[in-house]
Amino acid sequence: MNTTALAVPFKAEFDPNSQEFALSGVVRPRSADEIAAIISMLKGAIEEVRGVLYINVKRLVQMNNTAYHAFARVLLDSCRTRSDIRFVVVTSSVVGWTERMFAHLNRIEPQVTVEVYDSKFYPGQSFVENTSFIPILRTQTKMTWRHERAILPRHGLRPGMAMADICCGIGDFAMLARKEFQPARIVALDHSKASLAYARDVASGFGVTDIEYTYGDASEMLLEDNQFDFVTCRHSLQIFNQPDMLLKELFRICKPGGRVYITNEKNSHCLGEPRSQSIQWTYNEVARLFSHFEMDVELGPKSKRYLVDAGFDDILVESFMVTNLDGDPQDFADIIAAWENVYAGEMAVKRGDPPEFIERFRQGFRDHIFAALHPKGYAGWPIWAASGRKPL
Amino acid sequence: MHGAENHRTEAAYEPLLQFEMEMGAFLSDWNHCDQLSSFMARMISHNRTDPVRHSNFFSSALNELLEVSFRGGSPDGRIGCAVYRRGPTERVELTFPCPPGQRQFYGEAVAKTRDGDAHARYLDSIATDLAPSREAVLLDLSINFDADVRLGESDPPSITLVVDLPLEGVVR
Repeated sequence: MNTTALAVPFKAEFDPNSQEFALSGVVRPRSADEIAAIISMLKGAIEEVRGVLYINVKRLVQMNNTAYHAFARVLLDSCRTRSDIRFVVVTSSVVGWTERMFAHLNRIEPQVTVEVYDSKFYPGQSFVENTSFIPILRTQTKMTWRHERAILPRHGLRPGMAMADICCGIGDFAMLARKEFQPARIVALDHSKASLAYARDVASGFGVTDIEYTYGDASEMLLEDNQFDFVTCRHSLQIFNQPDMLLKELFRICKPGGRVYITNEKNSHCLGEPRSQSIQWTYNEVARLFSHFEMDVELGPKSKRYLVDAGFDDILVESFMVTNLDGDPQDFADIIAAWENVYAGEMAVKRGDPPEFIERFRQGFRDHIFAALHPKGYAGWPIWAASGRKPL
Repeated sequence: MHGAENHRTEAAYEPLLQFEMEMGAFLSDWNHCDQLSSFMARMISHNRTDPVRHSNFFSSALNELLEVSFRGGSPDGRIGCAVYRRGPTERVELTFPCPPGQRQFYGEAVAKTRDGDAHARYLDSIATDLAPSREAVLLDLSINFDADVRLGESDPPSITLVVDLPLEGVVR
């Protein structure tokens, strides 16, 4: 059972099942009396738990010294009276000062330790944040942009809007959107520092200074509520193990009346001619492989359901097919070759697949490339674009 | 709120933003500390490498300074806060009226941020104080925000805290 107190501007919850006390929001009281309820909740949690109490401050946006001292007081006093339990403070790498401030408690009482929640954010993170993927991400965006530049206005993107691109990767979509739609403000957030460094470098090279690239956790963003007219999140819900949690955040930062735009795939519907059967077998296996790592690359057609469940209305869904006929077929082939390297060369190996499976798995990608480059061939990669309006 | 006129800092610091208001009005609502620090942080951080995180860090530090002035200030006179920039560092100059004799208190508190035992003193404050003293807050800025804190020139009964915050380097 969760217990909740003081909804605005901060929130405290204690979950006895996970033995976790979570504190979020902005905690800037004038005196400790103003936070007496959550201090009391923390004391109650300490009395109730056995072994370890997790203090989750990942979503703690601000905390003044008055509140910090009040919390520290409870924890340090408890260390003296409850030598049987440990306190693990879980901070976020995004909010740097929390790690610094709470680390001091460990120097006073070793029973209090601090863990930075970062690399284990979601199961597939290590694959998608691999910097070797960067060149292919550029090619992918180049190919999808041919379609999306026409699709985005249908979903409500207009010049002069405040826009956020969440899970922006290497920032190329933000650059293209900025040029095409001239937003009044554009924030681009990602959890890969390497990708952001690349994005900033490219922007700097082009003399672009008005894209606010920021490091952040898309499921727990520092961005304030109701800020953006148009929020994009492309090819990302499908690689999070909890897409509903991500959508909740996208909903939160979107202005009432604004729209959230998402794109996702249904990998098993990738297709090609000739050699269609081999191609289809491999992409069915791609979906199973991602599922093993708690990612749903079949999410595209489920977009409407996710948007409805997240509270959006006026939902629009459409699909488009990126093909070898869009520009240079070699671009399409390069994307498939990169997929083969990551999916067959890394993910299948990590899953522990036998060599004969991996060889057959690779063959489907090679046949897809063959189809893409064949003078009479056709190769496709279907994508679903969907958006919903945050109710007024 | 308007662009700062740089009278007191050396030329190398570029003025970014400043506000000035009646101290009585400032003291009328505790939430002014939060509101002013959040607004100023957002304004001055927009062209930092990571504007969102820089703003979060800067707001934390500025809020603590404003809370110091709220707790230690007297209602007659005006409070002024100016922010300047040089390279990776923002300089905050906060001037506020305070009761007589406070200059010595702030002088000693600022000096303690530079002492060799500043860290031990800060840990001791966390471990023993029921509530943070203004001295502990300045130590917090020095230790957790890598701030350089000193007293600036000001006419009595006002006090000026000058705090250099190298946050662009801290927000990595």
